Amino acid sequence: MSKTFKRSKTARLIMMVPAASMILAGCGEKPVEVQVFNSPDECAAYYNPPAECKAAFAEAAALHPQVAPRYASKQECETDFGSGQCETAPVLAANNTVAANGGEQSQPQSQQSSGFFMPMMMGFMAGQMLNRGGMAGAAQQQPTAANRSPVANQPLYKSRDDRSTFRTATNTAVATQPGATSIKPSAVQPKPATMARRGGFGAQAAKRSSSSLGG
Amino acid sequence: MKRVNSNPRPGWKAFAESVGFNFHTFDGEPYWDETAYYQFSLQQIEQDLEAPTEELHQMALDLVDDIVSDEQKLQQLAIPPQFWDAVVASWRAKEPHLYGRMDFSYNGSAPAKLLELNYDTPTSLYETGFFQWVWLEDQLMRGELPQGADQFNSLQDKLQQAFGELNLPQPFYFASVTESIEDKGTVDYLMDIALQAGLNCRYIQLEQLGDIDGQLVDLDGFSIQGLFKLYPWEFMLQEEFAGTILTSQTQFIEPLWKCLLSNKGILPLLWQKYQGHPNLLPAFFDDGSALQNGWLRKPLLSREGANIQLLTADGLALQQDGPYNDSGYIRQQLAPLPKFGDNYTLIGSWVVGDSAAGICIREDNSLITKDSSRFIPHIILD
Repeated sequence: MSKTFKRSKTARLIMMVPAASMILAGCGEKPVEVQVFNSPDECAAYYNPPAECKAAFAEAAALHPQVAPRYASKQECETDFGSGQCETAPVLAANNTVAANGGEQSQPQSQQSSGFFMPMMMGFMAGQMLNRGGMAGAAQQQPTAANRSPVANQPLYKSRDDRSTFRTATNTAVATQPGATSIKPSAVQPKPATMARRGGFGAQAAKRSSSSLGG
Repeated sequence: MKRVNSNPRPGWKAFAESVGFNFHTFDGEPYWDETAYYQFSLQQIEQDLEAPTEELHQMALDLVDDIVSDEQKLQQLAIPPQFWDAVVASWRAKEPHLYGRMDFSYNGSAPAKLLELNYDTPTSLYETGFFQWVWLEDQLMRGELPQGADQFNSLQDKLQQAFGELNLPQPFYFASVTESIEDKGTVDYLMDIALQAGLNCRYIQLEQLGDIDGQLVDLDGFSIQGLFKLYPWEFMLQEEFAGTILTSQTQFIEPLWKCLLSNKGILPLLWQKYQGHPNLLPAFFDDGSALQNGWLRKPLLSREGANIQLLTADGLALQQDGPYNDSGYIRQQLAPLPKFGDNYTLIGSWVVGDSAAGICIREDNSLITKDSSRFIPHIILD
């Protein structure tokens, strides 16, 4: 006859006990080459196939309303991006997912105004290696999972006080002039626009100043 | 049931800190105290605590059915009317619940008397489920406890099982108030168990929860579809994002209907329905008249013993000030906590899902148990 215990069989912890070593994400990440341009025409002028320039631009433009920083007022937006450089932002579903590679992006479902403002798109980053002019015939290969760039084609912005620098939606400076540049993919990973209101819970905790909100 | 002095494990504080128990001392005073333990017989545990816990739990759930179809009761519990529909819907949809704790006055012989239900944000979970368990194993190994000593503490086993069976949306988020290291400890413990049950878990500070078009979102703007919040429903229902609760596609643990049971108003309602039950104390909604000897008054919504006013049988008045003076009150007959030496002893009895899952013991020098009251481990030995 086996004795029945009134206590847990085991009680182990895996997360609360500090791990012996931590591997920092992003360490030793290799930079990759991308190209940045003000427009598809400029892209084509850099010996890139015009069709690919247009496609990369279209993907970036589709991503733009989803990732551009959002502001509650036009004035706040223009403070960061300059007079006349902001537009109204469309409503987006909260659970929009931003594909790691902008290519799978679908068009925003609604163009209805959200009441928010966002900077205009001032350029784009072509993450997929464009086929250079003159080699087009030889290098006519479709991107595969293996050689596909880890960087999404994405919109770029320019701040009010620094009109020469291309910045991502999350304010990472990527280049000061058009053409090729090299960046770490994790630094330019698109994220949904930060337009959430925050701080709506927790006021009572501050007011009641107790050691615990449990009991 | 008796209190036994015991030798603490050498170096237990350093060990405690190495396993995330950073709140073992409270304002310079011991919170975790292993200079003694309580000893129960198996019969005391099973007949006087475990069985009544499960019975009272079922009685409370049956009572929820009455409350959701009775506006007067919702009013008595001070549930804001704009949330009535949501509370009722949450109950009717059978939104699953995870855990709760009821507090008893019990001296080892007379029936345990239910003092209150902590059914929304109960804490001292980690101390009970993990640290108390490790204490027993350590002390058995060191020969400090008699061989064969057991503990009424299946809390961690049952929580892990519950996380495995609840079918929660993933990633599943856990939130607590930034400033409270005690609450963070509780949430870390729950996340650890959920992780062991195979859940994809994420932590977010409660104040960082975002709202996009009525949907709760995380720091990256992704919608939160499952959330454990160590924050009382009655606060959430009156804060800026209260409206978000009605629109957000989020499964909450504890579910919204738990606000009915974490409310002290449940005590008079239990007494109305089950008057004379051996584990219940007479209780009524407060009419504002003078308190009589042998009675106490406490707010509908309060925690950690705050804002309790009591008169002993001899007419001695005791009062605990606190920040919960803005709701209605109930009055309850006093079941004085038993005294062991200089200590008044309260028993917390855990419920996971619908099963009794163990006990924790708190000691104080006063009849009112507070957040600073010491946590004392226990054993079962026949």
